[in-house]
Amino acid sequence: MNLTPFIDGSYGITVLFLIGIFVLTLNRYRSAIKRLAAVEKR
Amino acid sequence: MTYYSDMSEKILSPDAPVLGRTGSWLHRFANPGRFLRLAQPALPWLAAFSIVLTVVGIVWGYAFAPADWEQGDAARIMYVHVPAAWVAMAGYAALAVCSFFSIVWRHPLADLAAEEIGPVGAGFTFVCLVSGALWGKPMWGAYWVWDARLTSVLVLFFLYLGHIALIRAFDNRSHGYRAAAILALVGAVNLPIIVFSVQWWNTLHQGNTISVTGGSKIYITMLYPLLIASLGFYMSFLTLVTARLCAAIMERKTRALLLAAAEREA
Amino acid sequence: MRTSKKRRLYLLLGCGLALSAATGLSLMAFSSTLTYFLGPREVLAKNPAPGMDFRLGGIVQVGTVNTVITNNTPTTHFRVTDGRASIPVTFTGVLPDLFREGQGVVAIGAMSPDGSFAASEVLAKHGSTYMPKDVEQSLKEAGKWDPKFGPPPDASTWNTMNVKASGS
Repeated sequence: MNLTPFIDGSYGITVLFLIGIFVLTLNRYRSAIKRLAAVEKR
Repeated sequence: MTYYSDMSEKILSPDAPVLGRTGSWLHRFANPGRFLRLAQPALPWLAAFSIVLTVVGIVWGYAFAPADWEQGDAARIMYVHVPAAWVAMAGYAALAVCSFFSIVWRHPLADLAAEEIGPVGAGFTFVCLVSGALWGKPMWGAYWVWDARLTSVLVLFFLYLGHIALIRAFDNRSHGYRAAAILALVGAVNLPIIVFSVQWWNTLHQGNTISVTGGSKIYITMLYPLLIASLGFYMSFLTLVTARLCAAIMERKTRALLLAAAEREA
Repeated sequence: MRTSKKRRLYLLLGCGLALSAATGLSLMAFSSTLTYFLGPREVLAKNPAPGMDFRLGGIVQVGTVNTVITNNTPTTHFRVTDGRASIPVTFTGVLPDLFREGQGVVAIGAMSPDGSFAASEVLAKHGSTYMPKDVEQSLKEAGKWDPKFGPPPDASTWNTMNVKASGS
């Protein structure tokens, strides 16, 4: 059996998940800082 | 004592101890404002360490670690599957600890942390399940079997999903926090079942390779990438939860400020 | 204030204790259904009726594997053992890559009237020992271990072996 799709699939889904959740978290973190700063300035 | 159904007024003045009447270190640490001040400067460092360790561990496992005597290159899936499984369980343990603090001491920070741990832990559990299925097909001959190990990890995934839904299910947030904390604590009995399932019952899943008490059944050149990837995953989990917790605190603060402004105008 | 916290703490600890006890007892009670497969000895003791599906697990006995190919489909006969008892198994189809003598397997099927196990599916159960191929080679050459006859020896005997490990 060709192992490549299984190995690449496992690593692929892991890397996609990690990149995805890091990017989502970073976006949320940044927008939280921005919105708080905007509200505090008013 | 009363439970803060809305902690916004506490966040408004972050320097006021959240549970002011008692002065223990725990309560002082549980002050969201103080947490924010401590955690925010640490975040870039946490993120840098997690990314470096995770990348090194994954690349080492994928490309440089030796192939296994029995499973050949398929054993490389271990370097993502095992760290994901460990983090999934450690994340649930953290969730249970937060729930414990939430129920006994009613720490607002514990509730916020529980809310943020859920999605991240569920994600790692999902990675563990999918990579495990992709490992099972070429080695066992089946993507999925209903043995005790696989089933108990699937239960862990559903516990995470249930917690995510329950903690957000109520208009009154404190009800959600209380209900979800009970679910998380009840679900914690699943953790020892996952760990010992491969010893207590016949399973298709192999036994534990890494043992805290006895020797580990893995050659040193395969152990190093596994440990580094695991450390990277643990750090990533910590970084993600800390960042999301900071964001959640700031979001609460923003909402409270807007509310206060609206009240002043009215 | 203090007492209400203490009360909640004890209440929670009590609930936790009761829950653990309940879970432990149920797991013990259901332990036969939680087991994924039966070993040859358990099968011989239970003597399941022919045609009743169950899973048989054990080691492929060395020297018993015999494959016959008819009409392009291989039929394999082998014995599954747990070291004391063994049961003959018949399987028609392609076996998993890991299948070999001395390999752990789980066969899904039912007993035939002739006392052999007719498997409709064979899964490979691999070990939890990870070592590079050249370490395996040196172990074999040193006469310390043959994969046909069970799992590798204790890791402490080979984790310090002086081997030119490839990779890493």
